[in-house]
Amino acid sequence: MSRKRQIALLVGDNPFHGISHLSQQRSRARNKMIEKAEYDASLVLTAFQNGANGFMFSVSEKTLSILKSVNEGMLDQGLKDLELYAIAPYAYDYVRMATQSGGMTGLATQVAKSILKSANVKAMLMGVHGLVTMDPESILKAYLFYEIERIRSAAGKRTVLSSILLHEIVTEMILALDLDGLAHSFINFMLKRHMIPGFETRNFALLVRKFQNWGLEFKQIVIATPFNKAGFQMNPSKLDCEKALVKAPEANIIAMSVLAAGYLRPSEAVEYLNTLENLRGIVVGVSNEQHAHDTFRFLKESLG
Amino acid sequence: MSEELQMKKSSEKIRLAVIGIGKMGLLHTCILNVLPNANVIAVCDKSPIIRKMSSKIFRNMKFVDDVRNLEGLGLDAIYLTTPIPSHYPLAKTLYSNKIAANLFVEKTLASDYAKAKELCDLAAAANGISMVGYMKRFSVTFRKAKNLLDQGMLGDLTSFEAHAYSSDFAASNRGSGISAARGGVLSDLGSHVIDIALWFFGDLAVKSAKLRSTNKTGSEDSVMMKTEGTDGLIGNFDISWSKKEYRMPEFGLAIMGNKGNLAVNDDEVIFSSVEKSQKWYRHDLGDSVSFLLGDSEYCRENEEFISSVLVHRKCESDFNTASKVDLVIEQARDKGEFT
Repeated sequence: MSRKRQIALLVGDNPFHGISHLSQQRSRARNKMIEKAEYDASLVLTAFQNGANGFMFSVSEKTLSILKSVNEGMLDQGLKDLELYAIAPYAYDYVRMATQSGGMTGLATQVAKSILKSANVKAMLMGVHGLVTMDPESILKAYLFYEIERIRSAAGKRTVLSSILLHEIVTEMILALDLDGLAHSFINFMLKRHMIPGFETRNFALLVRKFQNWGLEFKQIVIATPFNKAGFQMNPSKLDCEKALVKAPEANIIAMSVLAAGYLRPSEAVEYLNTLENLRGIVVGVSNEQHAHDTFRFLKESLG
Repeated sequence: MSEELQMKKSSEKIRLAVIGIGKMGLLHTCILNVLPNANVIAVCDKSPIIRKMSSKIFRNMKFVDDVRNLEGLGLDAIYLTTPIPSHYPLAKTLYSNKIAANLFVEKTLASDYAKAKELCDLAAAANGISMVGYMKRFSVTFRKAKNLLDQGMLGDLTSFEAHAYSSDFAASNRGSGISAARGGVLSDLGSHVIDIALWFFGDLAVKSAKLRSTNKTGSEDSVMMKTEGTDGLIGNFDISWSKKEYRMPEFGLAIMGNKGNLAVNDDEVIFSSVEKSQKWYRHDLGDSVSFLLGDSEYCRENEEFISSVLVHRKCESDFNTASKVDLVIEQARDKGEFT
């Protein structure tokens, strides 16, 4: 019997947005090379055919276009069951919107307009309730109704929307402000809709401590957080994050930044990841066909 | 950490209020709520909607619509995170009414140098700790560059080039309308790189400047300026929030010396000389923090302010230091040719 662990391998979307956490210069170079959605979709499919199980992405117009192309490609190639892990809200879009529309009030107006335009009745009803009561739980639910519909209509039937993860900015706010009610409400909302509630964080040790205090069940949720040999974006320290991982053995952890934004070689990354007992998945971005093919082949063979 | 600070750290909590719950107010409130020696007890915002929303997400806090209503709350310190034009009147009210002696103001300190100097005097009279949110001083890469400069790695400095770019208004034709409310690109974006240059090189005087606006409000959207240091060091600044392909704001300096050159931005530091070349990424410089929200610099900046208040010591980037940024900006606007 194989002793290999079952580790989900997910394609990340950072390169598709021209994001590099190693250097802005590289980010701009990527931006110049940003390909059409069809090409990005082909990279997702290549990765899928070489060992990836799913696609993790921030919800934006760009990634929704990629999803449409992924669905068409899967149909053409007779593929199915690519798992989708959506991160929402896409903070960059919303911060830019706030900047360009004059702040938080301008942002709220823009988002409300988008929900109205979508004609998503559930989102509108929940949104009206949220606005009248100023209840963050209702506002979050309205937003989730809106995003789920957007994702599903773009992704078609060849993929499975497995999880929606709250973007790190929302997760960190929940942690900082002790918004355990909002966390519970989000988890219940997602579970009722047969999706895995997820949290993206760069404060993993704090998250474990708070979630344990709040009585949240780790086995019900997925947590995407940086784990890498360089300790890059692991807060308050690499050691604290590793200790927290041991304290939450039932947690479904998806390791992000495993290559520390290109700072580490894949072999170094895997060597470290194999020392972590309870990782359930990893997410890695790819920027070309060869990269997609080689990276996921290598990860599939080397992890576990 | 000193023994004095260590002892204070274990027992004291600073009672805080945050004025202005926009992007920065929210960010600071979240970080402060996690720091062990900070206790945000009140929030002030003039918008009823923001106050109502805040009351649902901030627990055990008082919500007020006017800074005068913060009186009597026994506040140790206040964070002022409103738009730049309101810094001066609000800070003056806080000091005049003795609402709190210790004040953190988001950059820039004021909308002109005279007002900034007046706030410096008020801070001195209050005998409190003051700080302006020039968080790039707490970036690991800029700190590394400062250390290398202080060690004299570059020898005598000959010149520098500084830039601050973002794409905030690259695609927007409404840029300057919003930019006027944000104080223009010099205050909003350029102030960071000006502050870094002042930190690295000491006082700078503007020799010439070219300012460009994309609409009728008169608020600048891009600026090129030349400065001269007290020792004759020539610097060139290129500042714009209308650049394409800058997904995130970027600040950087290239510094030339007779023994070597240094290039630094948010991600890396590169030292090069005839003998050697060396590069450090953020990864190499210990970038982890106790709580990461936004960039790691914000957490370090807040820790600096809180610990300075605790032991009553001067902050990095206090009002006097920060007012020099307002002076450079004013000189650029006064001497600048508008196109």
